[in-house]
Amino acid sequence: MEKQKKQFKLNMTYYVLITFSIIQIIFGLTQDSPRGIILGLQSILSNPDTLVSDYFGIGGIGASFVNSGLLTLIFLFILYRMKHRAHGVTIAGILTISGFAFFGKNLLNVWFVVFGVYLYSRYQKDKFSKYVVVALFGTALAPVATEIMFSTLLPYHISIPLGIFSGILMGFILPALATSMLNFHQGFNLYNIGFTSGLVGTVYVSILRSYGFVPEPRFIWTTGNNLKFSIFLSVIFIGFILFGIYTRDRKLSEFKNIFKYSGRLITDYVKLEGLPFTLINMGLAGLLSLAYILIIGGDLNGPTIGGIYTIVGFSAFGKTPKTIIPIFIGVLIGSLTKTWGINDPAIQLAALFGTALAPIAGEFGWMYGILAAFVHSSVVLNVGFLHGGMNLYNNGFAAGIVAGFLLPIFEAFRKDED
Amino acid sequence: MKHKRKRVMKIIDEITNFLFFVGAKKISIDYEENDEGFLITLEGNYKKEKIKEIYNLVKYLNYEKEEEMEEYYWELSGNYDMDTELTLVGMMTDDAKVYYDNDKVTIFLVRYK
Repeated sequence: MEKQKKQFKLNMTYYVLITFSIIQIIFGLTQDSPRGIILGLQSILSNPDTLVSDYFGIGGIGASFVNSGLLTLIFLFILYRMKHRAHGVTIAGILTISGFAFFGKNLLNVWFVVFGVYLYSRYQKDKFSKYVVVALFGTALAPVATEIMFSTLLPYHISIPLGIFSGILMGFILPALATSMLNFHQGFNLYNIGFTSGLVGTVYVSILRSYGFVPEPRFIWTTGNNLKFSIFLSVIFIGFILFGIYTRDRKLSEFKNIFKYSGRLITDYVKLEGLPFTLINMGLAGLLSLAYILIIGGDLNGPTIGGIYTIVGFSAFGKTPKTIIPIFIGVLIGSLTKTWGINDPAIQLAALFGTALAPIAGEFGWMYGILAAFVHSSVVLNVGFLHGGMNLYNNGFAAGIVAGFLLPIFEAFRKDED
Repeated sequence: MKHKRKRVMKIIDEITNFLFFVGAKKISIDYEENDEGFLITLEGNYKKEKIKEIYNLVKYLNYEKEEEMEEYYWELSGNYDMDTELTLVGMMTDDAKVYYDNDKVTIFLVRYK
């Protein structure tokens, strides 16, 4: 007898994500006038999106939140149409999109990559639904299209078709590469598409540079909104925790089970421990990340909220506060001994997105997590140039290199059971 | 679908890895391919103190098949010898049965083409 197939329907995970997206939109609408939001969106859609492009500084807070909420709602609709059964990976994918919709992904630029993945599925004579997870995360390369489309170096009749073609091409080659790249880090880098996109971006930008096209560096980083966002994010994360506690069907003491997993890909907490405990984990990880940024004197803006959302999302798919803390400590120790400060923008992002390496702490122990983060904070500052900021998951690229480099060493010095 | 047989090989690797993990010293593998799909049977002994892992095996292998997870993550299956990807095997198979007694476990897996 085959495994029992459940009938597809919207499950609670969908409802949580839909509610989350609607809250984003409502919050956005309270931050600006309708005209301000429309003009802001126009500005967001018509700008290049290479790292670091804080949409709060480009289109305003209101437009950025509306962009984030609408984009996630559209992706949820696509997943629903694909009859995708939402669970941990879905939460990770959707919150990653939501977070990066504050600094690089928007209602225009993500579709070229998604369409490229769709074309790949057609080429393989397969259903698109089989590649929808890759498409979700693959939007990391969304800036490839807009960087070329809105480049000042080329006339529009060349730049727009070339940008569209480039975006589609990225999506077309991504699925085959993404699966293969898992072998390099064995699932110890949670942002595998970031690693893959980093390699793709490096090759692509190298070719562009050989034709004299140099991606223009950007650094848009807003400050001064910590109080407002602290309150907003705290409400969201406490909401996750309370909803998890309210809807749980097991004793709260069993929540600690979630800490027994290493978090290595694929560790789907919704499947393993259920949505309620997953939501509690997400809320706790969110509050911890928020506290980290505030304690080090960092800034709550598009990129850092993006980092926090990504942590929260992946707290349904591999991260827990227990495995995140060693990463924060590793970056902190690095900033005490290296030539930069703990609240430098790039280091804030290194700490938040460096939690891609959380499974190393989960598998080998907290000391190894600290060491991995210490190395990561240096590597990440050196790889952005390679892809010219076109890979939004720059930390995922660095984390892949770090994990692939350290893993054989850690294994070599670990005591075997037998 | 690409790598049809390599994916089956990964499934066998992963279950073999699991059997090593629970202390198997003797493992037998039976594999059959027909027009409909692949039938895989693995049998091995295990240490009694690892019985909880057998319970987990039953739980993980019964996860529903999920093509989108397989298509992205299948390369991870059977790769790493210090951890298991049993949930992934669950997502890559159409049917799974686990029978066990005091010291022996038998795992039947079916994967349709």
